[in-house]
Amino acid sequence: MFLSLRDVTKRFGAVVAVDHVNLDLSEGDFVCFLGPSGCGKTTLLRLVAGLESPDEGEILLQGTDLAGLPARMRNFGVVFQSYSLFPNMTVARNVAYGLECRKWEKARIDSRVKEMLALVHLDKHAEKLPHELSGGMQQRVALARALAPEPAVLLLDEPLSALDAKVRESLRGEIRELQQRLGITTIMVTHDQDEAMEMADSIVAMNRGRIEQVGTAEELYWEPETRFVGEFIGRLNLLEAPALLAGLGPQGQDTVLAIRPEHVALTNEGAHSGTVRSVAFLGNTMRLGVEAAGQDLEIEVHGRRKRLNVGETVNFELPADRVRRLASSSV
Amino acid sequence: MSVSTSTRHSRLPDSDRIFAFAMIAATGLLLVTFVLVPLWAILKNSFVTPDGIGLDNFVRYFTDSRFVTIVGNTFEVGISVTLTTMVLAYGFAYAIQRTCMPLRNVLRIVALLPIFSPSLVQALGLQFLLGRNGLVNRTFGTEIDIYGFWGIYIADVVYAFPHAFLILSTALAVADARLYESAESLGAGAWRIFRTVTLPGTRYGLASAGFVVFTIVITDFGNPVVIGGNYSVLAVEIYNQVSGQANFAMGAVIGVLLLLPAALAMIGEKWISRRHFASVTAQSVPLAPQPNRARDTAWLIYSLLVAAVILSLVAIVIYASFVRLWPYNLSFSLRHYEFDVQNGLQPLWTSIQVAILTAVISMIFVTGAAYANHAFPMRASRVLYFLAILPAAVPGMVLGLGYILAFNTPGQPIYWMYDTILIIAFCNVYHYHAQGFLLATTNIKQISSTFDEASATLGATKLKTVWRVTLPIIWPTVLAVGVFFFMRAMVTLSAVIFLISPSTQLAAVSVLYLDDRGALNQAAAFAVCIMATVVAFLVLAQIALRVAGIRGVSLVR
Repeated sequence: MFLSLRDVTKRFGAVVAVDHVNLDLSEGDFVCFLGPSGCGKTTLLRLVAGLESPDEGEILLQGTDLAGLPARMRNFGVVFQSYSLFPNMTVARNVAYGLECRKWEKARIDSRVKEMLALVHLDKHAEKLPHELSGGMQQRVALARALAPEPAVLLLDEPLSALDAKVRESLRGEIRELQQRLGITTIMVTHDQDEAMEMADSIVAMNRGRIEQVGTAEELYWEPETRFVGEFIGRLNLLEAPALLAGLGPQGQDTVLAIRPEHVALTNEGAHSGTVRSVAFLGNTMRLGVEAAGQDLEIEVHGRRKRLNVGETVNFELPADRVRRLASSSV
Repeated sequence: MSVSTSTRHSRLPDSDRIFAFAMIAATGLLLVTFVLVPLWAILKNSFVTPDGIGLDNFVRYFTDSRFVTIVGNTFEVGISVTLTTMVLAYGFAYAIQRTCMPLRNVLRIVALLPIFSPSLVQALGLQFLLGRNGLVNRTFGTEIDIYGFWGIYIADVVYAFPHAFLILSTALAVADARLYESAESLGAGAWRIFRTVTLPGTRYGLASAGFVVFTIVITDFGNPVVIGGNYSVLAVEIYNQVSGQANFAMGAVIGVLLLLPAALAMIGEKWISRRHFASVTAQSVPLAPQPNRARDTAWLIYSLLVAAVILSLVAIVIYASFVRLWPYNLSFSLRHYEFDVQNGLQPLWTSIQVAILTAVISMIFVTGAAYANHAFPMRASRVLYFLAILPAAVPGMVLGLGYILAFNTPGQPIYWMYDTILIIAFCNVYHYHAQGFLLATTNIKQISSTFDEASATLGATKLKTVWRVTLPIIWPTVLAVGVFFFMRAMVTLSAVIFLISPSTQLAAVSVLYLDDRGALNQAAAFAVCIMATVVAFLVLAQIALRVAGIRGVSLVR
């Protein structure tokens, strides 16, 4: 394994921010730590970066324990959420900074800075100061600065969340393309599931300091293992009413049965029936709030022309192969 | 990949750790040497008697009715000046922050004038104005005797005014307009709004100003020594005991007596400011004063009156320095600027040297202490913080006396410094350490820690980060610290009075000696030179900031 986390734990006072995390990354992977705020994803990234030190466990790079190795000696490139460019230096000096710290020759620094700025399409802005650039440009400089010293791993701490939506979209593609081109092992922290699904090879879903599930975007969406993952990525109906659970097998102690809204099938003569409580027309999709057997369900219908009205009765089925059995709490 | 091949990296020999340790150790060592050791010397000496260690000195002190009177006088002056200053400064700050009266910028500068001169200048001005041969007595044939309580009272009110004004002005600067609007919509009158909204909103500022002014007044030496006459206070008494009678034990006793109320006031101030939660939140609507002719005119008259008093004490000193012989011959003359007595202008040059040295040392060690305390949190940090702000509770006279008692012994590690301007500069730095430290800390805290982290992840050592990133960002703060210490070093009298020698005579002390000898015009001329130097330096620093395109850094504290 290229980068491995073994039982990594970090506490802040009584709070366990990162709780016995185990994870393996192959070289060239793009991994996203995804989770709500406070789930420990940023702390975990900072532990990898060496900006915090773990209370327990070890972080191994190609088999070598990084404990005690300060951030500046790890040779990891880090891009922070915002405002990390040195305001007193030009774009070029910012990119050169890490190379100067590594005592590169001046000519080599100059050509590397040019190369990096061309890579992020900012060659024309080399002599500008950070505050003269837009937020998106600043983050591209930060990316160039982090990548210039040829780091072993690239760490991105919510690099896009301070930017506006348009810029965010275009930067997603740009970062992904750059990562592929350089083949650099990358970890990105984000709370935005779209971002994670679009960019990452695999997603690490985190909750309360623990990893809930690791997998590709498809795996996490189609085969969530825990209730948290199912609810955090996409939408989810928890089946609670006995009438709805009938025929789906035992509920179990620590598991719940759930189904995604688009998997509930409207039928003419279905096994279940319910009353429409709300209707939202979203273009390609119609989202219904339905009350059935004493519980609320969300149903999504695609490509249906005929309008449904509040108060109407609908019949539906819960296809057994679409119902997922999920662990009710963290594994 | 450049990770070493050993499976576990050693935690010890890392240049960042060495740097952090060196910074903390240097800061701690200096604070112990220049704050704790002198304080310890004072405490020790106050308990040392010919018969051994005991409370004899204190008993002797409190059984002497003259000493008891002096303690009473000190509190009388302290409390009356504090109350008056608070009321006057609150009104003045209110007029500047909460009304639309004209001349607000000019009035603000006038209010700050007393900061630019030694504390005895107010008393000197008062002598010219209300003294036996003062303007008033000679013009109106009255026989006002200003020497004594009232002289100290007026001089110290003016002296303490800018300190109170700065704190109250900050407190009044922020307010939530919504509170005022709702009070008005509920039908509250102006006086009621003031009592129920304005006053409670600034109570922490008021308390803080009160403690600060009280400390300044009871520990002020310059004004009482010039205009106190037979009305003695502790700060003058400590000077008489030490400089006049070389009675160090008694000096130490008075030092402890001065230290107690000052320390209590400081603890009170810290306690208040800790309880001070932010009353203005992100949702607040800033209060913008609306023009109101009658109100603005009334406040303008009030402010002009206060400013006139402050200005008159400064103006008359300047005027007196340019007349032939006050008050008999008022024709214009520059002869007092020839400084043909004593060492001529030498004390002014010495003062400037001391002030520059003080500024340089402070820029390195005070901002260094603030940086070390912020950047390297460790178990020692709380102790370090306490030591760094402890000097706020130590009156200048006490610190100065502590330096004599601690360092004026051959064989002491820093005895070589004695009788040089270096010891005076260090005394100044640690006398005003708390204010400089807090100023630097506030500014350093505002700088995002992301810069540090970004630099570290790019491979920079702490030292390189400080040099390449931190310093280029915080240099205006470092400059502000330097300016603050330069100003204080130029005008301070209390701590350094014990440390000067004939070869290290200072300008502020010269003013005192000249006044003492009755050479009032020359004293005035010397005082004018001090004020001119301070103002010139301030203007230079301001220009430097302007040229560098830095705004929003206030140099006057």
